[in-house]
Amino acid sequence: MDESPPPPDNQSPPPPLPPTGHTGSPTDFLKGVVGKKVIVRLNSGVDYRGVLSCLDGYMNIALEQTEEHVEGKITNRYGDAFIRGNNVLYISAAEEL
Amino acid sequence: MASQVLPLELIDKCIGSRIWVVMKSEREFTGTLLGFDDFVNMVLEDVTEYEITPQGTKKTKLAQTLLNGNNICMLIPGSEGPDS
Amino acid sequence: MDPSSSGIQEPFDLIRLSLSERVFVKLRGDREMTGILHVRALKHMMGHMNLILSDVEETIMIVNEGEQATVSVAKRKMGMLFVRGDGVILVSPPSRTQ
Repeated sequence: MDESPPPPDNQSPPPPLPPTGHTGSPTDFLKGVVGKKVIVRLNSGVDYRGVLSCLDGYMNIALEQTEEHVEGKITNRYGDAFIRGNNVLYISAAEEL
Repeated sequence: MASQVLPLELIDKCIGSRIWVVMKSEREFTGTLLGFDDFVNMVLEDVTEYEITPQGTKKTKLAQTLLNGNNICMLIPGSEGPDS
Repeated sequence: MDPSSSGIQEPFDLIRLSLSERVFVKLRGDREMTGILHVRALKHMMGHMNLILSDVEETIMIVNEGEQATVSVAKRKMGMLFVRGDGVILVSPPSRTQ
């Protein structure tokens, strides 16, 4: 379990993922992966694999056809899943962009 | 007066090159930096994730990845990370 | 809002579409529960993910440390429950046929 202090809470007004001048920014990446298969890893090390429906500036995530993986084994399946953004370590593309 | 380089300008210079990211926990990443934002959320390509455990280091290869800036501790430009 | 539309614009729409329905909630500390998502709590949910659930069944995984670590499962039921948002990891609405 990751014991690092919790990141800032969802209390301030939503921070928009700000656009930057160059391509390859987080915003561009996210535009490219919506509707694609992704791996979402949480700080705890648990993985969620599914199709990215959408996400917001907090990195709150909605996934479809979600599989929960713990230490390489599938431990749960969800039709839809809302993942609270403060737990997210990374979002990784699981298919060609 | 010494010329000032703002920290984020340094990172901006790294776009397109390899970077080593050390997290606050026992976790590290290397990859090619494609972009980042004001929160230092980073988009990386050809990524290797290193999980450092008492049993050894577990390596995971990842494609394009958005790394949450919240738990980043250090950035080392131009490095191949623990393997270099 | 058209309840038949499966398209969602933002993650919170998943929650909004699950009001008055039984949802699965995963919390920090290996806690899981199902409960009916309470309608009147919507404005709390938006910012924080604070939830009010009724008719709750909580499942607690208890890891027994030792030579061979074993996991035992404890369940309990509660009538009405407030869940503080910062402990929430995942909320899954009931699967609906589309």
